Order: sequence, then structure tokens, then C-alpha cells
Amino acid sequence: MKKLLLTLAISLTGIMSFAQPDDELTPEEKAYRDSIANLNETNAAIEKSQNAYNAGIELFKQEKYEGAINKFSESIAADPNFTPAYYNKAIAENKSEKYGQAIKTLDALIAKKPDYSKAYFQRGRAYQGKKDFLSAEKDYEKSVALDPKNPKAYYNFGTLQFLQKDYESAIIQFSKVIELDPNNAYAYNDRGSCYRMLEKYPQAVKDYEEAARKNANLAFVLNNIGTTKTKMKSYEDALKDFNRALSIDAKFYLAYNNRGVTEMKMDRYTDAIKDFTKCIEINANYAPAYSNRAGAYFKNGEYAKAKADADKAISLDKNFADAYVNRGMAKEMLRDLEGACEDWHKAKELGSELGKSYKASNCSN
Amino acid sequence: MKNLLSIILLGFGFTVFGQDVEFKAANFKDDKDGFKTAKDAFDAGSEDWELGNEAVFQVQDPELYYWKALKNFEIAYKFNPNSAELNFKMGVCYAHSSYKQKSIAFFEKAHELNHDIHPFMDYYMGLAMQLSYKFDEALRYYQTFEAEYKKADRFGKFVKQRKLECTSGKKLHADPIRAWVDHVPELSTEYNDYAPTVTMDGEEMILTSDRPNEHTPDEVGRYDDDIYTSTMVDGKWQKAQPIKGRVNTEKDDISNNYSYNGTKMLMCKVNSAGNFDIYETFLKGDTWSEPIGFSRNINLKSNDIYASYNFNDKLIYYSKDKDGGQNGFDIMVSGVMNRKNREYGLPNREMSVSSNFNDGPVYLHPDGKTMYFASEGFNSMGGYDIYYAKKEKSGYWGKPVNMGYPINTPYDDFFFAATANGKYAYIASNREGGKGGYDIYKAIFWGPEKDPALATQDYLLASIAKPIQDPELAAEVKVTTSANLTVFKGKTLDALTKKAVEAVIEITDNKTGKVTEKFTTNSATGKFLISLPSGGNYGIAVKADGYLFHSENFDIPSGSAYNMVNKVIELKNIKIGSKIALRNIFFDTGKSALRPESNAELDRLVKLMKDVPSLKIELSGHTDNTGSAQGNVKLSQERAEAVVNYLVSKGINKSRMTAKGYGSDRPIASNDTSDGRQENRRTEFEITGN
Repeated sequence: MKKLLLTLAISLTGIMSFAQPDDELTPEEKAYRDSIANLNETNAAIEKSQNAYNAGIELFKQEKYEGAINKFSESIAADPNFTPAYYNKAIAENKSEKYGQAIKTLDALIAKKPDYSKAYFQRGRAYQGKKDFLSAEKDYEKSVALDPKNPKAYYNFGTLQFLQKDYESAIIQFSKVIELDPNNAYAYNDRGSCYRMLEKYPQAVKDYEEAARKNANLAFVLNNIGTTKTKMKSYEDALKDFNRALSIDAKFYLAYNNRGVTEMKMDRYTDAIKDFTKCIEINANYAPAYSNRAGAYFKNGEYAKAKADADKAISLDKNFADAYVNRGMAKEMLRDLEGACEDWHKAKELGSELGKSYKASNCSN
Repeated sequence: MKNLLSIILLGFGFTVFGQDVEFKAANFKDDKDGFKTAKDAFDAGSEDWELGNEAVFQVQDPELYYWKALKNFEIAYKFNPNSAELNFKMGVCYAHSSYKQKSIAFFEKAHELNHDIHPFMDYYMGLAMQLSYKFDEALRYYQTFEAEYKKADRFGKFVKQRKLECTSGKKLHADPIRAWVDHVPELSTEYNDYAPTVTMDGEEMILTSDRPNEHTPDEVGRYDDDIYTSTMVDGKWQKAQPIKGRVNTEKDDISNNYSYNGTKMLMCKVNSAGNFDIYETFLKGDTWSEPIGFSRNINLKSNDIYASYNFNDKLIYYSKDKDGGQNGFDIMVSGVMNRKNREYGLPNREMSVSSNFNDGPVYLHPDGKTMYFASEGFNSMGGYDIYYAKKEKSGYWGKPVNMGYPINTPYDDFFFAATANGKYAYIASNREGGKGGYDIYKAIFWGPEKDPALATQDYLLASIAKPIQDPELAAEVKVTTSANLTVFKGKTLDALTKKAVEAVIEITDNKTGKVTEKFTTNSATGKFLISLPSGGNYGIAVKADGYLFHSENFDIPSGSAYNMVNKVIELKNIKIGSKIALRNIFFDTGKSALRPESNAELDRLVKLMKDVPSLKIELSGHTDNTGSAQGNVKLSQERAEAVVNYLVSKGINKSRMTAKGYGSDRPIASNDTSDGRQENRRTEFEITGN
């Protein structure tokens, strides 16, 4: 390419140097001149496309996805056949949750490269983001068929099935990932979560423990072990796991919240209040911690504090059923049964069984 | 020095102030006339006071004697408030009245003036301490009294009971139950307001009060008891009004218990012989009928009071005092033998809920398994306490359980009028903090301890940054474990005019085919109120003169402990063109053979056809729009014919009926929803001639 360009440049210089008026050129000469000009334009466009593409990658690395998308778009506009620009643009669009755009970009890419496994994988992700699970499933299946050795498609396929609560199928996908990539801690974690949702807690803990062995720095895995052991009523063990999670990541607010819940189950309300407070210190906008602390204050008989916390939780998340349940309980003890019943009714509307039960047994004559 | 003098003077002054000033002429040389009047009053009062004491020993009502005594004692007290004996006697009078709290100051003053004034001083100081929730001090006074009281009379049983009350009072007070007890000022006065009974929806109350009325007060200024009613409007009880009808008389008329549907009421009133008997009055519109007594088996020579219906209206529980007995009122039960003649069988004493002291009032919960009753015996905190007892498998009532503080106090706490959901109950009490005498209180039960909803979140999927709420971690649901009943209330109205219609309602349990309830709705309001076991499927048939009978089928879901179903039933005049859906006719899916549980409904239709021989009807079958139109028409035609054939088999002339299958051509609701489709699948009849 470089040689060609040089040759063309020299020729062009020659032509320019000895430029003749149009009417002095023969038709053959005109045609030649035009083809050269056209080639020059094309090469300039390719260059422009490639520069934009590289700039896009740089911006992507800086997590400036909007800028990256613009650059990849420039790249495509300059050279519509430059397929890597489509692919990267789609990834940036997925990253910035512009799933509709990503799907369009990938449609165009797949039209150009119908056997490109990764394109299907990314479009699957985009459909998943749009919650069009059926289309996502088809794309993942296609991706797996085109590239059966790529664990990523199996993995995403598994997460998709998990989100659709098809845990048994998800286990198959995650098992395949583990088969292809035996050190994939995420796959162990996610398969563990499938077992957990199927209430097969010992198997869940076994997978989570394996995930922790594959990657000792994943605090969320230890947190998952803690909450699973809480479900198994092994509260003391659960506390140890939360402690391990927090030793890895002292700012992991979910672990404080979840440890607080375990302490609630152990009737250690003061400890629970401390943990929920710590969680709020780290993430002041985390509604569940306020709602849970409301529950702990309630158990401690501090009803005004309980109500204030539940109020805060609701102000952060107007559709948080648990917070309405807890605020109703606090209101009842503050002698506002009418307000309590309104809250339980709201909780019931939001799907809370507890809200339904409290309303049924307290709010009619 | 000056200070020391002040202290001495103060001490002296206190001694003088604290000195017992007896009713002796020598103490009142300066006012002989005043002394004579006061002394006469003191002596007259003391005579009645002694009679009152006698009644106490006999576990009989001493109140009138004591009020008479108090009337005189008040005169004496104005003249000389520093007599230990007078203070003691006035304390005794109040201690045995509904104004017990007033006794405390008198006993304390008597004790301060002269703690040896009466052999019973320690006993009544014990009572004063008990009423002040000072159970340990009370117990010490009772023990001192017991050690010094040498008479071998029946008073020992009272002391024993008081001591038991201190032990249980201390325990119950230290461990309150999960309830609030609130004074209801709208229903209470400075007089005695008691005997509350509420409809199961908690919206109507009947109570008794000796507040001033248009009758003549007795010799001590007390008015007779009359029965009042109040309605709950926007959560507030309205001012109680005397109940309408010929119920209240110049003698005591005392409300007992509503029937569960609120259409009749048990009450007690004084008969011509001067004893209390049990009566029944019926609600017609907004007016109560003249009370009717029960047969001699219930209304014996004794006092028979505070009666309650049981869940199936076959038994009456009440309290009876045995003539010449010394154990006060006992709880009795009597079963209906001939309802038409109002004959009841010989009553039996309910042994396990009757103590050696006064027992009753009693209230039978509609669950058929729970009795609430008051008693001065058992492990009371003092005075009457409210207990409950559960019916055991043997059929006997189990051991009474004290309902605990703050339902109960060392004062009199009695009557128990519960609403259907078990959340609220009304009681009467003369505890501290009321307006005076017995007042109405509302108990609000918190129910089982509530667990908060706790939310945990995890990164269940490693690749998804946004945490996923774990739906499985919602706290366990605790359901109230008491009776599973649903309040079924509503009214019957004219479909066109919306005016109340008095109608007869029959409720059939479709599982058994048996009629479980039959009652008449209120003529003035059309209202009715009953309770039904949850978790069943019921047929309701409503009949009223001149109206087309109404039929409906409904489920009462089980699950939550208590529910309320509210139904407005609109009745149609029988005129040509009226259409009615028969909701309790059942076929197997896709078939036209009638299922046996349809018989009750069909028989009602047979009865209607026989009752109105001129009636001509078209029986029509209707389906929803699922399946082929042709198939639907065929099936609905066959079903309509099946109904006609049934009626023919029961003797209805075929010429009065036509059968028509409309398939899905005449929907009455949208076929887009399952509820709508269910509405559309129906058997209907239209009056074509009359």
C-alpha cells in the first residue's frame, strides 16, 4: 500500500507539474486522471476512517463511550466497509446501554459478515439489555454454533436464562463455561447462584467456595456465601463470611447490610443497627439499609426512629415495598393505625406478602 | 435555735393534724348542735354500713347499703373529716362500689390517723395498696391481717383470694400483653357506663348506663340502668341514645349480648318479684321489640343475668346466683328444646369457668371454641378480671386464662365485646383515669409480634454490576391463628328505586348442600351482618315479597384470619322481561349433565315456579366465546334443556318453560378476561309471562 501510494504521489506530482487544460487531454488521459483522483479520495477516506477508529479505541479505554461511539461512527462514515468499527461501536453502545443503537449497528455488521460469531454475541447482549430475551437467546445460540469453543456466549446465555428464572438451563450453560475455562470464577459464582435459587444451598456454597478459590479477591462471592448460609440458618458461619468479604473490600456496603440482616435474625438488634449505619455511611442513597435499620429500631422499641428511617427509604425508592411494611409497623406503634394500614396496603400493591398479611389481620373491624 | 424551734413546731403541728378526732361530744363542746347532726348521720350510716358488710360476706351485692351509708357519712365528714373510723368506713363503702379509686385516700387517712381503728384496717390497707399496683406492700398488709384475724368465718377465703391476686397482679403487671386499652370518652360519663356489645363489623354498639334519664332516681340519687345505642361514624362513636322501642323501663334494663348478625339481643331486667331475669328483644327496622322472657328453666327464682348466644344459636350461656349460696354468680348453659315455644332445657353449671366468687358476664366467640368471661376468682389482679377459656376436644371448657394487663387491672374489668377480626374489643372498667364509675374502654390487640421486612441484596450474577434483589429473602408471614371467619355484611335494595327491601336470605354451603344461615334483612335499612367460615363456596338465595328471587355464588377465601365481604343485593320486581342468572347451577366442562351441587338452586327455582303458578319463563344457556360458535350454541341449548327437564321432573308443567341456547351471542361481560368469561358462562331465566 505504501509503495502504491508513493508511486501514485509521484505520478500525481508529475501530472500536476505538467498540468494540461482539460481540452488538451485525451479521453484516456482524462479517465486515468479521474481514477487516480478517486483512488486518492478513497485512500484519504481510509486513513480518516482508521484515525477515527483508533481515536475511538483510545476514548473507549478512557471509558468515554459517547466520544468513542462518535469516533467509530466517523470511521464507518469514512469507510462503510470497515467492519471492526461497527463491532467496536456496538460494544461502546452496549456499554452505554444504548441497546437499540447497538442492535442497528450489529444488524449492519451481520449483513456484511453473516458468520461473525462475536457480532451475534454482542447483539445478544443488546437484546438482553432491552429485555428481549427471546431474540437474545437466538443470538447467543447462533454465536455458540459459530464458535463452540468460546465460553463467553455460553456464559451470557447462562445469565440470560438465570434472569428468566430458568435456573436448571442456566446451570448447563455455566457448566459448559467451566468445562471450557476451568478457572472462570464468575461461572462458579453464577452456577452457585442458580443452585441457591433452586434452594440447593449446600451445592450453592460449594460453587461459591470454588469461585473464591479461583479468585480470592472477589468480595461479592464471600458475601453470597454469607447470605446463603443465612438462608441455611448457619448464622455464626455467615457472619464469618461477611467478615471475610469486608476484609477484602472494606467499602463493600452490601456486606454490611447483609451482615446486619443476619444479626437481626440472631436478635442482635444493636449490632444490626451499627452495620446498617455503616452501610449508609458508605452509600447514603442505599434505601434497603434505611428500611432494614427501621426494622431494627422497631425491634428495639424505638418507633419514631424506625418511622424516620422508613420515610428516608421511601424517599429514595418510592416503590420499595419492604419500607412501606416497616413504616406501617412503626406507625401502628405510634398509634397511627390508619397510616399503618395505608402503608400496608401500598406494600401489598407492590407485591409484599407481609404487607398483605398485616393489612388483612389489622385493617378491618 | 430558731430552726430547731420551727422543726419542733412543725412536728407538733403534724401530730395535731394527724390525730384521730372521734365522734365524741367531748371533742365538739363548741358546736353541740352540729355534733348531734353529724353523730346521728354517722350512726345511721354505720347501720347501713354493717348491712353492706353482711352482704359482702354472702358474696351478694352490697352497693345499695353502702351508698345509703355514704349519703349519711358525707354529712358527718363535712363536720369532722378527721375521724379514723369515719374515714375507714367511707373507704369500705367506696371499695365496694364502682368508684373504688376513691377508697384509697380514705383508707390511707384512716390508717394515718389510727391504724388500730378497726380489725380490718390492714385488710383494707392491703386493698388500697393493691389498687395502687403496690402488690408487695399489699401482700404484707394482707399477711398481717391474716395473722391477726382469729375469727373462723368465711372471710378467710377473701384474704386468701386477695393474696393470690397480689401474686398474680405483680406477675401480670410486669409482663403486659400486646394490646392498648384506651378510654372511650364519647361513650363514657361520670356515671356507670357498661355492658357494651358490638355488631361484628364494629359499627354499632349497645351499652347500658345509669346516667340521668327521665325516670325518678332512687333514695340515694341513682338512676335506673337503661340501654343505649351508638353508631361509629368516621371512626368516632356518636353520642349514645336510648334504644328505640319498648325496652327501657323505670327499672334496671341491662344489655347483654347481640346475636352475631345484630338482629336480636339478650338482656336482663328486673321481674315483678324483684329478681333479674333474662329476656330477648328483636330488631325490626330501627326499633327493638318488647323484651320476651325465657322459660322457667332459665329464669328461675334466682337472679339470672348477662346472657350470651353461642355460635349456632342453640345454647344460651348466662350467670346465675344460687338462692342462699355463698359463691356468687356461676356460669350456666342451657340448650334450646323448642324454639317456637322458647323452651330451654335445665341449665348446667359450667364447672371449669365457675369459681367461688362472682363469675360472668360471659361472651361466646362466634368461632364456637372460645369463651370470654369475667370473674372475681381465679388468678385475678383484683376485682373482676376478664378471662378466656378454650373448648377442649372432650367438649368441656379448658382452664381459664387471665387476659393479662392492661386488659385487666386491680379494678373491675369486665364484659368483652369483640369485633370480627379479633383486633378490637370493648370492655367496661372502673380503673383509674376514667370519667367516674364504670366507663367504656377499647382494647386494641397488636396481634402476634410483627417481624419487619428485611432486604438483602447480592451480586448473584458476577457479570451484572447492578445488584439483583433476592426475591427469596422476604421474612416469613405470620398469620393470626385465631378463628378463620369472614364477616359477610351487606344490604338488600330494590334494583330500580334503591330503597331498602326486607328480604329473607338463605346461605347454603355448596359443599354440603345444607342451608347454614337463614335470616331476614333489616326492614328499615336492608342491612344484614353474619359471619361465615372462610375457605368455602356458598350459595346465597334472597327472597322478598313481590320480587324476583336473587341467587349468587361466592367464594370466601381462606388465608388471612378474618375478612370482610360486603355485598349489595339488588332485587328485581317480578315483571315480564326480568332476567336472572342462576349462579349455582353447575355442569362439567363441555357437558350438559347437571352436577348434584346444582340441586339446591334448582329446587329454589322449582319452589318459585310453584309459588307463582302463573309464571312463565325462558331458560337460556350462555357460554363464553371460547370454542366454536356452533358448538357453543349446541352445548348451551342442551344445558338449558337439562334445566327444563329437571324442573319437569319436579312437577313443573313443560308448557310454562322454553329452553334456548344462545351460545356466546349474549355476553354480559367482556370475554377478554377470565372473570368476564366466567360471568358470561351462565344459565339464565327470563320471565316471559306472569
